Amino acid sequence: MYLTKDEQAILDGEKGAGAQKAMELVTALGKIYGADSLVDITSAHLSGASYKTIGEGGLKYLSDMVAGGAQVSVPSTLNPVGMDRERWKEMHISPEFAEKQIQIIDLYGKMGIKKTCSCTPYIGENVPKLGDHIAWAESSALSFANSYLGARTNREGGPGALAAAILGKTANYGLHLDENRKPTVVIDVEDMGDSVFDYSLLGQAVGMKMGKGVPYFRGIKPTVEDAKTLCAAMAAAGSVALWHAEGATPEASNFDISGLEHITIGKKEREEAYAKLNTVDDIQLIALGCPHLTPKEMHDIANLLKGKEKKRRDVEIWFCTSESVRSQCPEDVAIMEKFGPVLADTCMVVAPIEGTFQRTATNSAKAGNYLPTLCSQKVKFAELSDLMKVVE
Amino acid sequence: MIIKGRAISPGYAEGEAITYGEAFSFLGGVDGKTGKFNVRDGTIDGKVFLFPNGKGSTVGSYVVYDLKVQGHCPAALVNKSAETIVTTGAVISSVPMVDNVDVSLVRDGDLVAVDGSKGYIELKNVKQVDIVSSLLLCDGKFLMLHRPEKSHTYPGKWSLVSGHVEAGESPEEAARREIMEETQISVGYPAATAPVFMVRYADTIYVVHSYMYRVSTTDVKLNNENTDCMWISPEEFDADESVDGVDRVLEFLKSEF
Repeated sequence: MYLTKDEQAILDGEKGAGAQKAMELVTALGKIYGADSLVDITSAHLSGASYKTIGEGGLKYLSDMVAGGAQVSVPSTLNPVGMDRERWKEMHISPEFAEKQIQIIDLYGKMGIKKTCSCTPYIGENVPKLGDHIAWAESSALSFANSYLGARTNREGGPGALAAAILGKTANYGLHLDENRKPTVVIDVEDMGDSVFDYSLLGQAVGMKMGKGVPYFRGIKPTVEDAKTLCAAMAAAGSVALWHAEGATPEASNFDISGLEHITIGKKEREEAYAKLNTVDDIQLIALGCPHLTPKEMHDIANLLKGKEKKRRDVEIWFCTSESVRSQCPEDVAIMEKFGPVLADTCMVVAPIEGTFQRTATNSAKAGNYLPTLCSQKVKFAELSDLMKVVE
Repeated sequence: MIIKGRAISPGYAEGEAITYGEAFSFLGGVDGKTGKFNVRDGTIDGKVFLFPNGKGSTVGSYVVYDLKVQGHCPAALVNKSAETIVTTGAVISSVPMVDNVDVSLVRDGDLVAVDGSKGYIELKNVKQVDIVSSLLLCDGKFLMLHRPEKSHTYPGKWSLVSGHVEAGESPEEAARREIMEETQISVGYPAATAPVFMVRYADTIYVVHSYMYRVSTTDVKLNNENTDCMWISPEEFDADESVDGVDRVLEFLKSEF
């Protein structure tokens, strides 16, 4: 791999141990994926934020990085953490967990990372532009940035994205290169409904069918909310990090799709996807906001709930969004709070809900995939209006 | 013996080898507090850990760091093919790591040095021996020789026409000499050459140079190195009755039949 004089100097330790470690990691990862050089990035988004997922090893790693003086050099945001910073008691979080979680947030803050913690940084906080090279972790967010915004990132891991953020550079391979952004299969979508839930099912069906690759959709015109949901579902059911949609995404018109394999996703395929995720009917928790609720979704939910009352007192409802969206929507929040807490910067997947709940409902295919494995939950997977039948 | 690989995580370390034959996840595969394996017996603590490649949760990178903090870290890591999770764990934890190494050549208990800066490993207790292994082909059948029951290596097994490369001799010269000694058949230039590969036997790694010669006679005069011979087709070949590596030579050269 070609390194400039300055980059080599960092690798040789001339700019301190923290930068050297970051360069060792970025170059090692570049080497195993055949990168020819490094590329400057305009932003980073980091995973590895919840104490539940990174544990003591992660906490010690971050404190050692801070002690070594690590500082990010490009705008950087952070994934959701294991609890709402103020309202963790309502989430049944132990004080010990809360203390560790606050330490982790503070450590990221000390490295210059914005302390809003969301899986939808592209809703206001960190919005890459067409053609920007970025280093993003969080499978749904990086797919959104690649596909809907036309920025360029691989599926970075937490420490790799942090190293890239420190250097302002990442290794130039994979989706940073034109040739790897070409579609690999055409998805002909039939009988598509217009609810976000349909996009969860579509993403689940495509992820299950193709695993990885670059799908090119025909027959959908996703909104931001639809795209967010589709990205999350495909990245959880498969490992899709980039997709195009004819007439809807910025790079779609760049490619010639003649000769590509076609896959049809209709009602039948979406029903199969549904059957895979829906495993229980009676639930204890309804958790919405995977990925985090957008202002529009907050508004839609508030409208749905307005003037109603919660029937089932034994079922908790959580609304998960980012701090910035929560603070933008005070009227909606006021309505939603009658039904359950509007939690900021956390979600049901990265919070330790397994200590309190065994059966959780979601309208997100991503949560439907991860709740059983990461949170030991049985899952009711259903449309929002279905889930809201617990209120009247 | 030195085996060249690719530098992944810098640094140098030595330790006793511990191996795992399948893809390995640090999350779940090892206890992050003690270094004891969950998927096999033994510990990772202070060992050179060799396995084909990593898999599983990205949290695995932090498990390596946790092992480092707890003082139960592996001395070094060696992979056939490095991926993100193990690479990240090795680099952030300053554990030397090399990949592009055929880890199946290494046995538990080997004394291994790993140079993650230069990109090689050294098996301190293992010696390297260059050998030749020639496939003689006549009318779609090839020659196999039967080794004596008292042979030091692979007693009683069937082999191609094989022997050591002597000092000052090229592998091709050695092949021609061995064929003459063991069969009294004279050959010219090889019709095909297979890529060099390695096989492990006890504390030796044989570096195998293999060639194919087309011959026009099946008249073999054995010397005392072998007790019997046979001409067989590839379909009649039985790997269990043969020395290691003949299957690989056949695979390399099958298009020549």
